[in-house]
Amino acid sequence: MTAQAQSISRKQTLGSSGLLSWIMTVDHKRIGILYLVSAFIFFIIGGLEALLMRIQLAKPDNTFLGADTYNQVFTMHGTTMIFLVVMPLAAGFGNYLVPLLIGARDMAFPKLNALSYWTYLFGGIFMYSSFVYGGAPNDGWFSYAPLTEKMYSPTHGMDFWVMGILLLGLATTIGSINFIVTIIQLRAPGMSLTKLPLFVWTTFVTSFLAVFSLPSLTTAILLLLLDRQLGAHFYNTAQGGSALLWQHLFWFFGHPEVYILILPAMGIVSMVIPVFSSKPLFGYAAIVFSTIAIGFLGFTVWAHHMFATGMPTVSLLFFSADSFLIGVPTGVKIFAWLGTMWRGKLRFMSPMLFAIGFVALFLIGGLDGIHLAVVPVDWQITDSYYVVAHIHYVLFGGAIFGIFSGIYFWFPKMTGRILNEALGKWHFWIMFIGMNLVFMPMHVLGLEGMPRRIYTYGPGRGWEIWNYVETIGAFLIATSILIFIVNFFITILKAPQNDPDPWDGFTLEWTTSSPPPDYNFAEIPSVRSRRPLWDNKHPDLADWKKEEA
Amino acid sequence: MTSSSVTHPAARVSTGRIALWITLTTESVFFVTLLVAYAALRDEADWSLPHTFTRLLIPAVNTTILLVSAFMAGSAVRAVRHNDQTGLRNSLLRALLLGLVFVAGQVFEFNHAGLSIDDQAFGGVFFTLMGFHAVHVLAGVVFLALNLMRTNLGDFTSTHYEAVDLGVWFWYYVTLVWFVLFAALYLL
Ligand code: HEM
Ligand SMILES: [Cu+2]
Repeated sequence: MTAQAQSISRKQTLGSSGLLSWIMTVDHKRIGILYLVSAFIFFIIGGLEALLMRIQLAKPDNTFLGADTYNQVFTMHGTTMIFLVVMPLAAGFGNYLVPLLIGARDMAFPKLNALSYWTYLFGGIFMYSSFVYGGAPNDGWFSYAPLTEKMYSPTHGMDFWVMGILLLGLATTIGSINFIVTIIQLRAPGMSLTKLPLFVWTTFVTSFLAVFSLPSLTTAILLLLLDRQLGAHFYNTAQGGSALLWQHLFWFFGHPEVYILILPAMGIVSMVIPVFSSKPLFGYAAIVFSTIAIGFLGFTVWAHHMFATGMPTVSLLFFSADSFLIGVPTGVKIFAWLGTMWRGKLRFMSPMLFAIGFVALFLIGGLDGIHLAVVPVDWQITDSYYVVAHIHYVLFGGAIFGIFSGIYFWFPKMTGRILNEALGKWHFWIMFIGMNLVFMPMHVLGLEGMPRRIYTYGPGRGWEIWNYVETIGAFLIATSILIFIVNFFITILKAPQNDPDPWDGFTLEWTTSSPPPDYNFAEIPSVRSRRPLWDNKHPDLADWKKEEA
Repeated sequence: MTSSSVTHPAARVSTGRIALWITLTTESVFFVTLLVAYAALRDEADWSLPHTFTRLLIPAVNTTILLVSAFMAGSAVRAVRHNDQTGLRNSLLRALLLGLVFVAGQVFEFNHAGLSIDDQAFGGVFFTLMGFHAVHVLAGVVFLALNLMRTNLGDFTSTHYEAVDLGVWFWYYVTLVWFVLFAALYLL
């Protein structure tokens, strides 16, 4: 081969499928897939950390992990799952789907989009490099100052955490601005805000939440950085600093953050349930309004994480009542999903199973949240395993189940191949049972007074049996994830079917080929209802006839 | 920032402008959070350093410089609307240079305020707010400089000058934030 021919053939491999083409890509679909794959790898890492913790806690007085290692492992587990897994998985779906769902050819700023992905990846790898450089952060995912001050946390772990979170916050901010601009500017003709697919709505609101809440985290972290590196005294009470400042700044971000984590999953199930119930979404407007309401209310409840810090009674009353209030829009959504299924022609395939699992488990988690919002109850069970149960019912039962629903649902669009249905059902049932085995007993342990974040416990308190059951459940979850990974590989190695619309879908992404071409739509579609594809398939029964009537 | 996608024909507000608004929103939340933290800290402890400086001279001079600079930036937009290329170039250049003078003045002030970052919590608050504002001024200078370069390349006309407009808006924003900080740190 001549040199010229060689360079041509090299160019071809790099052109569309080579590694370099993925590194250089600014295509929203590829960036979406990069996000999803990277976040899934972090999910496995975070999951392994969880297994380590469960092994340590399986028996009383266990010596599998030392106290110090245990602290690092739970800190990295929480930080990973929140910042490196759930947020970027949502960003991955957002990148892949938003342009397709609104009938656009890409995001508004494709290069910024690539920038936010690489910033995220770098931030994640950077944070993990702390294990090699003298120890990972070990003060929990919310890293309370003054505990995180240099005096009390002298290793470099906290410095890695600080810089890592700054990078991840930057990535999310850039990504959110991009989503907002894209959704405002690039909607196909006819797609008014009232016709926006639900996942686009939740991405929209989530992006606003990020834009308004992340600066608070950034502030908290910058102040900590200055304290640690330049000897400032923001969190040092001896020098006029404050011991509660961090908690306020962190939770002013932290509560909106929990909705940043859950809203995209709510968007996903709001798209899956109608398709698998063969009905339009029941209560579209109610879901949209409750999403917006959650967005606003989410900024007003942060101090319910601080009931035990000694607040004035008025504040306690306000934040408690307000937290009950935020349960209302959440309840509205549950009814809307149930109403969609009511008398529908239900198809219990994997995406639908995960969506139903989401509704059931999220409901339990939400009710736990209401318990915790009752001040005297919270005083008893704050910082106990009850809180751990709450956060996992909403985040694992909620966000992760919702995301798996989305993975099974849109995998055929992204790859042209449908995941194996039998394995999908095994995955679902084992994960569902495992999840309840791990987290249901945590309620009991919390009520019995087992504190969270302890590396071991003595025998004879009645905690042994539940801890043992939880560890078994954790291995069940791990098994279910293995089944998913096997399913992924056997599916991806098969020849694609390239079915553009395997589920009999409703929205614009199913009008493109699977996977869609680079430019998504040869011709920009125009939209007359919330279910444009349904209208195309059933001109006589088209939704727009009813909606416009 | 450039958009490579087609903007929807019916869209009235430009994509760049929306992006700028949202960016400034998130920046504002950031500054407000810092100010609230400052208020809370001040509320909780006695600063052992006096937080009103006897020397208001340098900050006052700096304020004037920034104000004139903002005015210059504004005349850049007026100039480009009339396709006055020299006016555009001169105004941008003046605004930019005054911005740099402001930063130099700030550096001088940092060295003469009689404060250091580890002087109680207040030292930290002072340098954080001022430092971040200075970083924004520098970002604004870069924005103006890019526009100046594009002016020299003949990129702007009376109908096509969005980048100038956005750069100037950013400059106004930086000036506005300065007034708030000046009031909060020196006057209150
Ligand atoms: C029905 C609405 C909800 C209410 C009333 C509620 C209430 C609460 C309360 C009072 C706490 C503090 C418990 C304590 O530390 O003593 C808490 C913690 C938490 N909640 Fe919720 N919650 C709700 C929904 C959610 C949702 C939807 C998510 C996430 C998807 C979530 C995630 C969390 C997390 C991660 C924590 C623990 C933070 C930590 O201390 O590490 N919550 N919740
Ligand atoms: Cu909360």
